[in-house]
Amino acid sequence: MTGESASGGVTQMLERMRAGLHQGRVPARIFNDQEVFDLEQEKLFGKAWCFLAHESEIPKPGDYVTRNIADNSLIVVRDEHGRIHANLNMCRHRGNQMCKSEIGNASHFRCSYHGWVYKNSGELIGVPYFKEAYDAKLDRSQWSLVRVRTETYAGLIFGTLSKDAPDLAEYLGGFQFYLDIYLKQGAGGSEVHGAPDHWVANTDWKICTENFSGDGYHTPVAHQFGFHLGYFPSSGASHSQGWAVTIPGKGHGIGLGHTPGMPAFAGYPPELVQKMRESLSPEQLDVFSRTRTAVGSVFPNLSFLIQPFSLVPGEAGVRFCTMRLWHPTGPGRMEMWSWCLVPKEASDEYKQAAYNAYTLTFGQAGTFEQDDFENWTKVTRQAGSSMARGIDFPYLMGLDRSPLTDWPGPGHAVSPYVTDTNFRNLWSTWLDYLTREG
Amino acid sequence: MTAADPVSRQDNVSREDKESIRDFLYLESLALDERRFRDWLALFAQDARYEMPVRVTREKLADWELSPVSRIFDDTKQTLEVRVRRLETDFAWSEQPPSRTRHFVTNVLVEATETDGELRALSNCLVYRSRGSETEPSVFSVQRRDRLRRDGSSWQIVHRWAALDQAVVNAHNMSIFI
Repeated sequence: MTGESASGGVTQMLERMRAGLHQGRVPARIFNDQEVFDLEQEKLFGKAWCFLAHESEIPKPGDYVTRNIADNSLIVVRDEHGRIHANLNMCRHRGNQMCKSEIGNASHFRCSYHGWVYKNSGELIGVPYFKEAYDAKLDRSQWSLVRVRTETYAGLIFGTLSKDAPDLAEYLGGFQFYLDIYLKQGAGGSEVHGAPDHWVANTDWKICTENFSGDGYHTPVAHQFGFHLGYFPSSGASHSQGWAVTIPGKGHGIGLGHTPGMPAFAGYPPELVQKMRESLSPEQLDVFSRTRTAVGSVFPNLSFLIQPFSLVPGEAGVRFCTMRLWHPTGPGRMEMWSWCLVPKEASDEYKQAAYNAYTLTFGQAGTFEQDDFENWTKVTRQAGSSMARGIDFPYLMGLDRSPLTDWPGPGHAVSPYVTDTNFRNLWSTWLDYLTREG
Repeated sequence: MTAADPVSRQDNVSREDKESIRDFLYLESLALDERRFRDWLALFAQDARYEMPVRVTREKLADWELSPVSRIFDDTKQTLEVRVRRLETDFAWSEQPPSRTRHFVTNVLVEATETDGELRALSNCLVYRSRGSETEPSVFSVQRRDRLRRDGSSWQIVHRWAALDQAVVNAHNMSIFI
């Protein structure tokens, strides 16, 4: 307890957080609070690069999906020339929602209220009664759908509401090295396997981002059934082994769980491993070959997991990859998208096997997913209570550890896998955004 | 009426079989609501499939609304058994304490299939789930299509296909069976 009164403002709380963070303390209140949510909407989700979609969700001209940044609904579309755009899903005339489906294909969008028509890329091209009522004076070029800045990396489409945000490569700041493990398993890259699971939860998005920034600590307990049934190729005794890497000041982090004696790339078919050898660097292969579990997050709210898993405990596992977006919709409330990613060039048999492993573990009915959200909704509930407002959580693991000097990849790497190092950087970056002027 | 007509497909099924299948579905629901998951599992054939497609909000003319690829559940009897085994451990936190469920099965229609000894049951299912002290329940409205195989005087589920009506599912997890 710090003695802060329950009525303390958010500014005071963030100051307390700044002072406590390098001593390994984070206020519980950040995980469920209206003022924190409001600040995040403006200063974090209004400024950061936010994940929108995977390019394979919109492969053809005219393909679109509707996604969000903060509370804004966006149309993410591939235009007739193959270029990707993100536009506010709102007619410029009277504000009606343009696209009402989550996914589709259209060369034009026509508003169902007064009939303004836009090219799929967003330019206004049709206005009813243009001559009769507007005297042909309306300058259509001034009334396009509101454009959001986008950039892509290895199939991931990001958008930002900020004109001042650095370019995406600088924003990722070297984390691409680790993202490639998920996204470049072969020269063809990755693709989504079908439509995402999509649901809502009374959970604060930050709990999820933190967990997927490398929380190996929860696994033996939160997913104890998995060890109990004999699912895991690691045992509780060796589970802490591996590495955690974070990009200082950027907030991205990854946990790399290691099982002694586990063959390199176990759970992948040999021809896929060969493709990885051709598309990843020797340093990336070195890291990946030692990895059982790769669980990482791009700041602020996009996460990935690669994990070997067998449908029946004790059998040889298959590695699957899930990508998930934790989208805040209110204090302690979120909307969730969860995809299965597969290497584009992999065999159909492998893709199906990986998808089945995903569905059984991390889809909405997944046995691991179920327990995570059960815990996370309870954390959220408790963090919103009045007594919790004065309480800090300990982020003390690895506080005095030096980074590894022989790590082959970028970033601040530590051992073991079980540590709070990534999370301290995550919260420090989050704090930078929330307290930045302007 | 043609052979493809839903009404005539019904005509090929005896009143006795229709009643027997309705009772079977009610007893199956009872096993779930009483958390007798082993009993429930025994109602599935060895080659059973248990499937719940992902629904996506799309335009009326779109060629699919239920994803042809994505599944919330895509289980065999073997993986269903693993789910049941998990629930029997002390570590299935999502069901600790357990959900209270009530399956309301209505609008049961039974029709013939191309396979001897197998009938298809269409039903609506409303599942109410209450957890802990939460005052807001999860309510799942579901369309079900079951393929049932005659098993002596009773039936076995060969294929359960269950589609949620919500595209964005209003539940933090799907830790129950539909």
